[in-house]
Amino acid sequence: MKKIISVLSMLVLVIFSAACTATKESGNEGKGNQASDEKVLYLNNGEEPTSFDPPIGFNAVSWNALNNLMEGLTRLGKNHEPEPAVAESWDVSEDGKEYTFHIREDAKWSNGDDLIASDFVYAWKRLLDPKTASGAAFLGYFIEGGEEFNTEKGTADDVRVEAVDDKTFKVTLKSPQAYFLSVITNPAFFPINEKVAKENPEWFAEADSFVGNGPFTLSEWKHDSHMIMEKNPEYWDADSVKLDKVNWAMVNDTTTEYQMYTNGELDTSDVPPEMTDQLMKEDKVKIEEQAGLYFFRFNVEEEPFQNINIRKAFAMATDQSQLVDYVTKNEEEPAYGFVAPGFNDPSGKDFRETNGDLIVTDVNKAKELLAKGLEEESYDKLPEVTLTYSTGDDTHKKIAEALQQMYKENLGVDVKLANLESNVFAEDQKALKLQFSRSSFLADYADPINFLENFQTGHSMNRTGWSSEKYDSLIKEAKLESNEEKRYELMYEAEQILMGEMPIIPIHFYNQLYLQADGVKDIVRHPVGYLELKWADKK
Amino acid sequence: MLLTLWLIITGTFFLMHAVPGSPFNEERTTNEAVQRNLIAYYKLDEPLAVQYVNYLKSVVTLDFGPSIKKSSQTVNDMISWGFPVSLELGLYTLALAIVSGITLGVIAALRRNGIIDYLAMTIAVLGISIPNFVLATLFIQVFAVNAGWLPAATWTSWRHMILPTFALATGPMAIIARLTRSSMLEVLTQDYIRTAKAKGLSPAKIVFKHALRNALLPVVTVLGTLAASILTGTFVIEKIFAIPGMGKYFIESINNRDYPVIMGTTVFYSSVLIIMLFLVDIAYGILDPRINLNKKEG
Repeated sequence: MKKIISVLSMLVLVIFSAACTATKESGNEGKGNQASDEKVLYLNNGEEPTSFDPPIGFNAVSWNALNNLMEGLTRLGKNHEPEPAVAESWDVSEDGKEYTFHIREDAKWSNGDDLIASDFVYAWKRLLDPKTASGAAFLGYFIEGGEEFNTEKGTADDVRVEAVDDKTFKVTLKSPQAYFLSVITNPAFFPINEKVAKENPEWFAEADSFVGNGPFTLSEWKHDSHMIMEKNPEYWDADSVKLDKVNWAMVNDTTTEYQMYTNGELDTSDVPPEMTDQLMKEDKVKIEEQAGLYFFRFNVEEEPFQNINIRKAFAMATDQSQLVDYVTKNEEEPAYGFVAPGFNDPSGKDFRETNGDLIVTDVNKAKELLAKGLEEESYDKLPEVTLTYSTGDDTHKKIAEALQQMYKENLGVDVKLANLESNVFAEDQKALKLQFSRSSFLADYADPINFLENFQTGHSMNRTGWSSEKYDSLIKEAKLESNEEKRYELMYEAEQILMGEMPIIPIHFYNQLYLQADGVKDIVRHPVGYLELKWADKK
Repeated sequence: MLLTLWLIITGTFFLMHAVPGSPFNEERTTNEAVQRNLIAYYKLDEPLAVQYVNYLKSVVTLDFGPSIKKSSQTVNDMISWGFPVSLELGLYTLALAIVSGITLGVIAALRRNGIIDYLAMTIAVLGISIPNFVLATLFIQVFAVNAGWLPAATWTSWRHMILPTFALATGPMAIIARLTRSSMLEVLTQDYIRTAKAKGLSPAKIVFKHALRNALLPVVTVLGTLAASILTGTFVIEKIFAIPGMGKYFIESINNRDYPVIMGTTVFYSSVLIIMLFLVDIAYGILDPRINLNKKEG
């Protein structure tokens, strides 16, 4: 019998040592091998970027990396304002519609090619080309002829972008846009090396063929496994770049990510929800703003929410600060308006502060309004209300349950809860099939108008059936207004109308919670957009 | 075999399109013109029947098309990146599970009702009842974070492979151990074993040559499906350890309604499963000469 056991244990040993030696050669040893004076930052991208083709990878998992591999005419600075990047300076025409960008003499591609104005012409027309099928194309509708080309009502020649000479790029807008310089920091507006792209249309798919113009180059990309970036010596501002390498893992599990962080395998980490309380108490969590909000939508075409007072009653019976303190517990800022904080008007005042709290939690008023609404609609009792949330994130469920409780206590209304798989949820919400449902919005560019334009009649983000002529015309005017003060006045008024009619209940503004190892500094996390590693340093 | 595959393709194709939702449903702003361009780009505006015929054509040429979600990748790319990794992890897991499972089972059967038996079966019951994702997190906490012996996750060197292999192997090992034990016990009471003992053969020879060979039949039966699922990737374990295998493509593609990836991975998985079951049939023949693959019963 002993013989059997020893034979079998030998077998186990043999198989394992074989397995080990086989992979030892192929795998790289990760952290062990690097020279000690190299500065390598270890980050986690969560998952594989969907694409590094600038107009296609329209999401955070692609942007966070891409923003460090390439750069547009402008780049968001440490204070989140656009700064000169590929363009060293620009002139704006008096009517605010024509921008002439002067491209740096020393702007180069990572393969050594000169970066020229026609690279922008090529890239921007490609963004708008319906054949490219870019999800970000609508951002280019600011450009004269852009929307027409994308909707096949015009041609590429109608798009008013032009290379005046190799280093001068001119673009004409439909209307003056104060935030244009900030919009074009978005990866959708990055230049593309036309020569490279014509030779190899799939240039962005692998590390070997990738040609960028940002602070870092892509030196290794093992799909769905990891990426390695190295400092780009061709970058015009290479002196500001302090890191030698950035190593991106793709770990899509917050607990594992956190364990790797505590094990020293990662330099930053998200906060696992079940650890938030403890880590907050230990003062280890860093918090950064994020321009976006969590909110609920009423379907104003469905009873009983066609009635404004019933909508307001529900809104006032909602206690935002309680939800933030006891349910989400991430120290988010409770939202009493639609536009997130962080946007300054010309006098330097914050939009949110200036327009103030446009809704308050007031249980008595809520009860009054509900009674008034019931009377107006001559309801004996309130028609059944179903609140729908999407599955996949536990927080949605918790918030929905807390709201159910609040409406029962504050209004005496029994709200039914329902959940749907997130894809079905999105489809039903767009089709106005949901009566009362959760939502969120993250800004695509840094201006209050990006929030407010969502509730124009028939806008793809409206999803409530709400419509107001006055509101629509205010938004339209704001988009055409070249005087910043007046523009802000129009936007203040628009938000007041929106919140006065209450097709939505704002819950909280988003923030970014993260952990960061000691010695890591100057990673910039913009409230709108992306992770910035240009100035990042590690001891 | 091809007929089975065709049935699977057809069933999956129409079920998939019957599920509500679309690959372009995102919470963020989606402009209608932009949506139309996307739908046209992926030819989802054609009638379903046309899409079906086109799909069958592409399957015949083994081209599963591009992913919708990750547009610069094709389904073939995904399989060619993911499968070798899943295969590697799967092979280690299978080797560990089979060797240790059979060992435990045999020992338990031979020392029936002894301490070793109880110990082995306790391990087996624990192995079956503790889900592998719990074990995985526990292993990371104990061996990587607390003890610092091994790295927590990713798939870069042999040291990274130890924890996932053990976490994944425990369940199958337990199943194999229990099956081996019970069928071993049954076989050991049979007449020919008594004959072998009477002939004065050594215990080792009896166990390995006579008993184990017959006791393994039920084990081989479960091995087919077990192997197919382990080899093509286990979503949870791959997610926890950030292993770039096949598992996530199955799950994510369904959440994203990434039609070509759903189809591609399903076709691939079914093919592996069919091949495994076929291999099991062959293994029967080798282990038990009474089963003849060619002979018709009658």
